[in-house]
Amino acid sequence: MSAPLTRAAATRLLAERLTREVVVSNLGQASLDLQQIADRPLNCYTFGAMGQCSSIALGIALARPDVRVVCLDGDGSLLMNLGSLCTIANQAPRNFALVVWDNEVHQTTGGQPTATAARSSLAAIARGAGVEKAMEVRTEEELRGAYDRIFGEDGPFVVAVKVMKGRAEGRLDRDVVGHARRFAQALAALPVA
Amino acid sequence: MSDPSWSKHLADVLRRNAIHTFATVPDYIVSHVLEHLWADPECRVVTVTREEEGVGLLAGAWLAGRRGALLMQNSGLGNSVNALASLCVASQIPMVLVISHRGDLGEFNPAQVPMGQATGPVLDALSIRHIAPRSVAELEAQGDGLIKLCYTRSLPVAMIVPAELTGGKQG
Repeated sequence: MSAPLTRAAATRLLAERLTREVVVSNLGQASLDLQQIADRPLNCYTFGAMGQCSSIALGIALARPDVRVVCLDGDGSLLMNLGSLCTIANQAPRNFALVVWDNEVHQTTGGQPTATAARSSLAAIARGAGVEKAMEVRTEEELRGAYDRIFGEDGPFVVAVKVMKGRAEGRLDRDVVGHARRFAQALAALPVA
Repeated sequence: MSDPSWSKHLADVLRRNAIHTFATVPDYIVSHVLEHLWADPECRVVTVTREEEGVGLLAGAWLAGRRGALLMQNSGLGNSVNALASLCVASQIPMVLVISHRGDLGEFNPAQVPMGQATGPVLDALSIRHIAPRSVAELEAQGDGLIKLCYTRSLPVAMIVPAELTGGKQG
């Protein structure tokens, strides 16, 4: 049994695999970790519209089927937009993976428990929505296995990653227009594979 | 008397302005437009579970180089307000909102009226430019210009679809 995962460690394990993938990150903690660990033009940070991170990522995946899109969402945000799981299942983009940092709290607002702290399972909800490749991981070994599949198989995937509570270090760069433009330009410049 | 070709004209205004990605939560009125889009192999129509989800999806499509339109009832505008404000307006992400206008002239359902009367003020509060063409001639005269403004300004615009144009829904 390995030590419990931190969101930062799980982000680092993803970052070391990245080449031409798009990473879309949720407002708050997921974006702050990603900025600190692996800022790159193909990162699409989201700053507003809580809940919409997975929908934004789905829109990118459908528009660019040649590019793998990994979405880093949070449990609180995904719980706000569970219908997105149905749309992901029915659109079924092969190039799409939704990774949820599930720390069972609303971290940014002070650590109030979410529904996953009690009875609700995001992986089970995703399976019920029709996503066959839906799983929950708790250890580094399991997470590496999930990343192997995301980078090696057709999606869509939903991977709920149980991570420790805790705020990310540092301060988010909130140039919201600048980041959106930088991302759109980088993706436009990426040759169609 | 409304011109039954209004829905074809509306679909054509969107398509000839290079909009081929659509998100929708259908209603009786916009379903007439959707029939033209569903039948067009160049168009992708994604049915979402809630209109706000369509805002997110079309924002993603725009960031990936595609223009999009969200087809919904004005009730869906109410469901989308925060995403429009904190995503599209804040990040300057354009999209065309096609909003069937329930709760206005001729409405039979009292539950539709408050949101129907709030539709213009809600759009105004977000500085979303809107038109409400009452005839095919007005639609043709204003539609291209509205969409041009959308991408010039890089912000959402709205085409309200009033009962005068469509004949409305009879209750």
